[in-house]
Amino acid sequence: MEIIIYGTINSVALALMALGFALVYGISRIPNFAHGALYVITGFITWIFLRALNLNYAFSIVLAIIIAGIIGAFIYQFILIRVRGMSISEIIASYAIGLAILEGFRWGGFKGMTYTLPVFIEGTFFIGDIPVDVHRTLVVIIGAGVVTFLWLFTRYTRLGLALRGMAQDERAALMLGIDSDRMAVVAMAIGSMLSGLAAIVLLPLGNIVVEKGYDVLIQAIAVCIVGGLGSWVGAVLAAFIIGFAQILTVVYLGAHFQMVVALLAIILTLILRPSGLFGRQKELEERV
Amino acid sequence: MKIKFLAIVTCFLAVFLFMGPGGKALAQKPIIIGAPLSTAFLYGWSAEKGMKLAIEEINSKGGVNVGGEKHPLKVEVIDTRDLEPGVPVSEALLAVEKLILDKKADFILGGPVRSEAALAAMPLLSKYKKVSILSTGVLTPAYHKTVAKEYDKYKYCFRIHGEAVNIVGEMFANFNELRTKYGFNNLFIIAQDVSHARGAAKVMKSVAEKQKWNVTGVEIYPTGASDFSMGLLKARRTKSEIINIWMDMPESAILLKQWYDMKLPALPFGSTLAAAEQPGFWKATDGKGEYTLANVINAGNAPSEATPWTMKFYNAYAKRWGVEPEGLGTSSSYMAVYVLRDAIERAGSLDSEKVVAELEKTDIMGVYGRLRFDPKSHQVIPAKDPKDGVVGSILQWQDGKRVVVYPKSIAKGTIMLPPWMKK
Repeated sequence: MEIIIYGTINSVALALMALGFALVYGISRIPNFAHGALYVITGFITWIFLRALNLNYAFSIVLAIIIAGIIGAFIYQFILIRVRGMSISEIIASYAIGLAILEGFRWGGFKGMTYTLPVFIEGTFFIGDIPVDVHRTLVVIIGAGVVTFLWLFTRYTRLGLALRGMAQDERAALMLGIDSDRMAVVAMAIGSMLSGLAAIVLLPLGNIVVEKGYDVLIQAIAVCIVGGLGSWVGAVLAAFIIGFAQILTVVYLGAHFQMVVALLAIILTLILRPSGLFGRQKELEERV
Repeated sequence: MKIKFLAIVTCFLAVFLFMGPGGKALAQKPIIIGAPLSTAFLYGWSAEKGMKLAIEEINSKGGVNVGGEKHPLKVEVIDTRDLEPGVPVSEALLAVEKLILDKKADFILGGPVRSEAALAAMPLLSKYKKVSILSTGVLTPAYHKTVAKEYDKYKYCFRIHGEAVNIVGEMFANFNELRTKYGFNNLFIIAQDVSHARGAAKVMKSVAEKQKWNVTGVEIYPTGASDFSMGLLKARRTKSEIINIWMDMPESAILLKQWYDMKLPALPFGSTLAAAEQPGFWKATDGKGEYTLANVINAGNAPSEATPWTMKFYNAYAKRWGVEPEGLGTSSSYMAVYVLRDAIERAGSLDSEKVVAELEKTDIMGVYGRLRFDPKSHQVIPAKDPKDGVVGSILQWQDGKRVVVYPKSIAKGTIMLPPWMKK
């Protein structure tokens, strides 16, 4: 029972971490290696609003997520747009931005375990004899909500349909009058906001540390590679595979093997099925 | 006329500054203390602050008397990043070498902080014949055992704070008291996947079994792990009554929050539990860390009256840095500077061989007790009473305060149980 409960929580947490990365890559084909930095920056911004400026928690959250979106849009509009289409340059540029943000925080004295956010609702309840705290339950609910929202957004809104069009075939979308650069900015902003949302939901369970940015990036990449780069449905499925694999590893092999799971998943996927579970375009190339 | 007057006053001030007792020292070549520290982590920044406080105090009194000449002390800090996950030991070695060759350090104080890095740095210190006093983080017994085994090669290496074997003894003194008082018998061990913690967990398990404790599990978590739910659930399932934690990563605060959220009926008892050592822990966990016990290795890192110098240091530190001494490495790094100063003054020279000989003769009443080094292993000599040797310090978070509960000779309170596990 505890494996099912905590496996689900862990999987949803991984899905939240990875969705922003998957969305940006799926639409604009840009691997946003600043994803982890955007996660951490949202955490610190919320902390500053809440603890240093004493703003309302909900207001701080909304403001921080909006700022994360603006930062993401700026990163694309002023930096990534110049290297778009050059895969290696995109990786180097986005990784450099992420590095600058994270190490900038470290240099600015944001270190140690004192930067924390409060949980949304205090309390613990029992499922059978397994204790589960309310905030972890909220992680699952919010995660499910985000996936549902994304599904509806990309199917029933003009913007969502335009983004899907871009993801399916950028040239065809251009012919239909969709501005690909504008859509890429929107995708980057939404991806950054998703990264920020993940931070807001997950950071109250721990503390805001610079190192978390690197960890989130690795987890997001692992999930997206296993799920198939660009497919957010694949990302959700992969999050459940890796999430449960991590929990099973802790239970049956030992906690110190937990970190290996994500990295092993990357290696195995690249060997056995380089396109991942839902990476259809690459799959065609593989067949050829 | 006015300008002439100002010029004369300026000249007098300049002459006074350079010829006065303090000024004479400032004019002399400074003694460089190289400090390889992992500055983004508690054991790094607390050591840096402790060291700087001691240096400021010594310099304000004219500096160090070397054969009749006063020299000021100067610290050069390089971030080794050795406490960060995934950073290789070679980074710390480069930092040590840079301090010696580039910064021209006369002595090495503080770190490297991670045991693996400190052990790897020993041949380097031997190669350059640099006297080093470890004052933070490194708990592995292998360090002083290596000195004892190859004295001629590693005689330059000293350690001024407690080490794992002694700490294990302190922990069991408390565990056995809890067994007598509450009938506890089930011990669960959680450790970080680093040398000293893995080693300590192994020793804890072995000693516990010898002392008839039921070891219900040993979980080793990688550095940077941020979910401990399965380990804690295992502790719950096995009806553990004490969770012994060996973790210096900041994520240990997450473990303690999870422990509180689960209302786990087991007392968290940590060593090198960096998160719980710090005064900011209470605020960082919104009070969820109450009842957590942490071994801060030496007195002075939490408030007590171990010696007349303890609270004097404690208050001076709080005044200088705006925060109380924060944990392992604070009082020991402060004392390392004073011990080195005394050894240099007695030697009347900066020569490594002479300073080593004088360090071996060290016998002063410091912040955390009587400070002496074992002449063979260069490990500081521990005791339960500060009159006999250096004393440890175990604190418990009680109502937002860090209350020292061990050793009895300096305790300010007794161990309390959380309300959900009161018997």
